Amino acid sequence: MVMMIWRQFVMEWKLYSRDRMAMFWTFAFPVAMLLGFGVIFRGGGGPKLSIVYVEPAAPSPRDAALLKAMDEVQLKVMPLAPAEAEARWGRGETAAEVLADGEGYRLRLNSYLMAQGGAAAGLVNQAWLMAQARLNGAPEPKRIPVSVESPGGRKASNYAAFLLPGLLGLNLMSIGLFSVGMVNVSYREKGKFRRLAVTPLPKWIFLLGQVLQRLTISLAQALVLMTVGWLAFGIQNQGSYLDLLVVMVFGTACFMSFGFALSSFAETSESYAAIANLLFFPLMLLSGVYFTLDSAPRWLQHAVTALPLSPFLTTLRAVFNDGSGLAGHGLALAIVGAWALGAFLLAVRRFRWA
Amino acid sequence: MSELALRIHGLRKAFPKVVAVAGVDLEVARGEVFGLLGPNGAGKTTTLEMIEGLTVPDAGEIEILGQSWKRDGQQIRARIGVQLQSTSLFNKITVREALDLYGTYYPKARSTAELLDLVQLNDKAEAYHITLSGGQQQRLALALALVNDPELVFLDEPTTGLDPQARRGLWDVVRRMKAEGRTVLLTTHYMDEAEALCDRLAIMDHGQVIASGTPASLIAQLAIPSVVELTFDGAAPDPAAFSARLGETVEHRSDLWEIPTRDPKGLLPRILEIAEAAGVPYQQIHIRRATLEDVFLHQTGRSLRD
Repeated sequence: MVMMIWRQFVMEWKLYSRDRMAMFWTFAFPVAMLLGFGVIFRGGGGPKLSIVYVEPAAPSPRDAALLKAMDEVQLKVMPLAPAEAEARWGRGETAAEVLADGEGYRLRLNSYLMAQGGAAAGLVNQAWLMAQARLNGAPEPKRIPVSVESPGGRKASNYAAFLLPGLLGLNLMSIGLFSVGMVNVSYREKGKFRRLAVTPLPKWIFLLGQVLQRLTISLAQALVLMTVGWLAFGIQNQGSYLDLLVVMVFGTACFMSFGFALSSFAETSESYAAIANLLFFPLMLLSGVYFTLDSAPRWLQHAVTALPLSPFLTTLRAVFNDGSGLAGHGLALAIVGAWALGAFLLAVRRFRWA
Repeated sequence: MSELALRIHGLRKAFPKVVAVAGVDLEVARGEVFGLLGPNGAGKTTTLEMIEGLTVPDAGEIEILGQSWKRDGQQIRARIGVQLQSTSLFNKITVREALDLYGTYYPKARSTAELLDLVQLNDKAEAYHITLSGGQQQRLALALALVNDPELVFLDEPTTGLDPQARRGLWDVVRRMKAEGRTVLLTTHYMDEAEALCDRLAIMDHGQVIASGTPASLIAQLAIPSVVELTFDGAAPDPAAFSARLGETVEHRSDLWEIPTRDPKGLLPRILEIAEAAGVPYQQIHIRRATLEDVFLHQTGRSLRD
């Protein structure tokens, strides 16, 4: 019996390793995401905001003071002649530009890009206040000191450390929805299960071999991501590895059951792909994989904590980034566990071979 | 031990929109190659799938090698070999791996080398399933159906979509199965295939068996044992006038006329004479003995491939 499961497991690995697309999405894609975003946001904050500075015909001391102050507040200033600035604005590439207007200046913001433009406008105003103070001979203005810390106070980690657990969660969800759910729909659709059904192989052995293989993939994937995170950004697990394993097992059980359950609702690969993507993308965007939902409406923030990915990531980050134990995360784990159990029961009830 | 490999009685299956099998009785003796014939949608595949345990019948009894699905499902599976109409394997499994893997599903398995020899896939042993041609995939499916040294083998349209040479190759494998003492139940819609391979056959239409027996007896049952064929270069003209003058039924096929007759020798001179007089632009004329195709046509009023 064990031997039969082992053979299925080995064959699943062979087939998986020969599927280049699957290997890419499983290993290369998450690593590329981590490296890419990790490097872009290496400083901890966002990339420098830029502002187009429309050059006056004859620069005044006032202009020089503003330019100096804008440089001090970390704005990336792009000085352009009026005609060039207008052309750039016309092409829609400019988020914000500042131009001389009578005694002062005027800020022009692109209505499409208010997130960048608004932030840049704030910095320009701050720079202009400093420049005015200096021009008026007032004492040099004082700035509020800034300290960057991780929420758990364990270590001042950067964005890559925030992203890494997010990607681990995303991977589990993608293995569940696609490597389990999608694959089983296509097996059913193409009659692979039927071919198995005329042999004496108990079907649960086939499924168990598959589940065990997916488990080891998610484990291998986690190890690869954590190793890359450590080598490239010095990110290390701050909590206990046992706690980490417990959280990962909860998540894996949840999303694999989810995939099995969902696969019973679709007849064809096409319809399954539609359903799976309909769940995958909102869950990805709303559950705090890449960013927190601080600015979203309150009800939405509450709603996503009832879905499986968000409480999973909260717990995973608490353990991995802040070294927290599991004691304070009972509710979050219970939510993930409830989804796992519900999906499992639904899958057992509805799963069909043909 | 029962002399029958298969006995089914009163088998029925209805799907939401169609009654696929409407009461089928069959008996297949051990060592026999038995053919299930019929056009697409006749209920052959549904019948086969109920026998194979893939579809649960609405009513009826199935006894396979003296055992029944209710009590002995796992034992039956170990004793039968199945080639489904389309065998779907993993794309990137090699021929050798597939045979090895399926062998492990059974209590006893034939060696992969032996099976590769049998279906002549030795040079493709390390090729991925997806890279095989249609004929090679069918041969692999056949080898997989034989992996457990089965007593009873089911082949669902084993040669559909194959070129003539590949079909002959498959026929040889089926003949070897018979020589090895296996019982074979196959479906086909090729009459020549049924005549070449089957000891006995049953013709199905609209979910029922409409005739059964040996190929020779089925043809002998046909009142009209010969057919005179006139072939044309291109579409055959309307035979109505010709038929009236001849005083015989003339079947109009796309590029030929068929005149079923009990007395080809007597009829031939008259056909030649009338055709000459009427200026019928035929190319060739020949007499052939009636085939299963004609039996089917006679029984159902339509062609098998329709």
